[in-house]
Amino acid sequence: MIAPSLLIGVLAVWQFATSFQHPEFILSPAEIARHFVEALWSGELLPHVGASLARALPGFALGSLIGVTFGLLAGVARSVDQLLSPAVFLTYPVPKIVFLPIVMLWVGIGDAAKILVIALASFYPCFINAYYGARGTSRIMVWSGLNMGAGRAQIFRKVVVPGALPLVFAGLRVSLALSFILLFSTEMINARSGLGFLIRQSESSLRFDLMYVAIVTVAILGYTSDQCLLLIRRRALAWQEAGR
Amino acid sequence: MRAWRLDTASALRRIALLAVGVVVWEAAARSGLWSPLIVPSISRIGHELWWLVSRPESAIEAWYSVQRALGGFALAAVVGVSLGVLMGRSALAASVLGPVFSSTYPIPKIALFPIFIYLFGIGSLSKVVLIFLECLYPIVVTTHAGSRAVNRVLLWSAANMGVSRAAMLWKVVVPATAPFIFAGFRIAMPIAMIVVVITEMISSADGLGYLAMYALASFKTDRMLAVVVVIALLGVVLDRLVVRLRDRLVFWEKLESYYVE
Repeated sequence: MIAPSLLIGVLAVWQFATSFQHPEFILSPAEIARHFVEALWSGELLPHVGASLARALPGFALGSLIGVTFGLLAGVARSVDQLLSPAVFLTYPVPKIVFLPIVMLWVGIGDAAKILVIALASFYPCFINAYYGARGTSRIMVWSGLNMGAGRAQIFRKVVVPGALPLVFAGLRVSLALSFILLFSTEMINARSGLGFLIRQSESSLRFDLMYVAIVTVAILGYTSDQCLLLIRRRALAWQEAGR
Repeated sequence: MRAWRLDTASALRRIALLAVGVVVWEAAARSGLWSPLIVPSISRIGHELWWLVSRPESAIEAWYSVQRALGGFALAAVVGVSLGVLMGRSALAASVLGPVFSSTYPIPKIALFPIFIYLFGIGSLSKVVLIFLECLYPIVVTTHAGSRAVNRVLLWSAANMGVSRAAMLWKVVVPATAPFIFAGFRIAMPIAMIVVVITEMISSADGLGYLAMYALASFKTDRMLAVVVVIALLGVVLDRLVVRLRDRLVFWEKLESYYVE
């Protein structure tokens, strides 16, 4: 109840403040809403949304899939652990955006470079969380599984993976947020389409209406994708939520 | 002794891995399959690295980046810890601020950068504000979670001994939350580095991000890679500093691993 009223309060103050003398790069909420609907109808917005999603989703899917898979494997198999973990943990604090120029050099400045950088960035949180999720598997569960005659594959699928899921989802959530940050920044650095490009272009051509529309769209995309992930998590972790 | 042996073993393994990487890279560079513009040899990169390190100008560029990253981070640390502790210890603050943070958390703040450029200028301030904003969230979230989980017995005994509310927060809640606070710091520090490099790549005339993009635009791949190495090393060093500080301040609780989030 407090959150919506706070939001309405902020918007009202903003609207009220813009009725006075103000710099032209500040628009009132009503104006932004009007421009948003206009841009949606005129087809100025949707192609950019499509272009952005076509970069973010494959990048996120690729990075998180590889990250979760290898993280789980490194969590259960010592050989994989010793092979991968030192490299992953050593390069973890390196800001992944620095690879953008290198990747641009190798695969060109098109979408592939952006997808690869997004995949690289979303790999790390997924790997690390899946790794600790798998390592934290309760021994008693594994023992009872073995005792009841389960094979290794079955133990992995029915004991390790469900046990690691809460942490895997925590990693996915961080990765999703990171992949959007990298998406918009790579698009701001160089692109010919996408929301990051739209923000940059409308800013430099002083079309503040379009800039705000793009920023609002970015916010909506980030929020919606996070909510989708939380929804999936609630489904997948129904057993865990029920306990709380 | 055992821990030391484990440390050397893992250090040796890391060095071996690094050596393999270097050899593979050098072999790729010398094989002649790719132009040196695409895969410059290690010796070229080393040469450029030396060129960067030996010039005071590049130290100034690095200083700009570090200054921005640490400035934004420090602001976020102070504000984030205060807000997080407040939210953890006051139901009113939690009910007002909680929804604000949880609803704006997934929104990429980087989209606001153009507005910040107009508001705060194209210099350091707009970058520091963006870094502050991006670092604030993980710090607030972890501090909030930690200060809610403070052992009640500690609070009760402090209350019993008659401490004031302020002393309770500063002497009991903040130290008890410190492990969580540092977990937040460790998430926020790489974010600060990412954002400083991004913003310098997007719009700047100084800093390491600018240097990398400038080198790439002038087809000096070796120099660009040298800058990338410097940025990567800075990221690792700053992370180590946070870990060191944590071990100094949170001496009563040893972390088994430094990478749990």
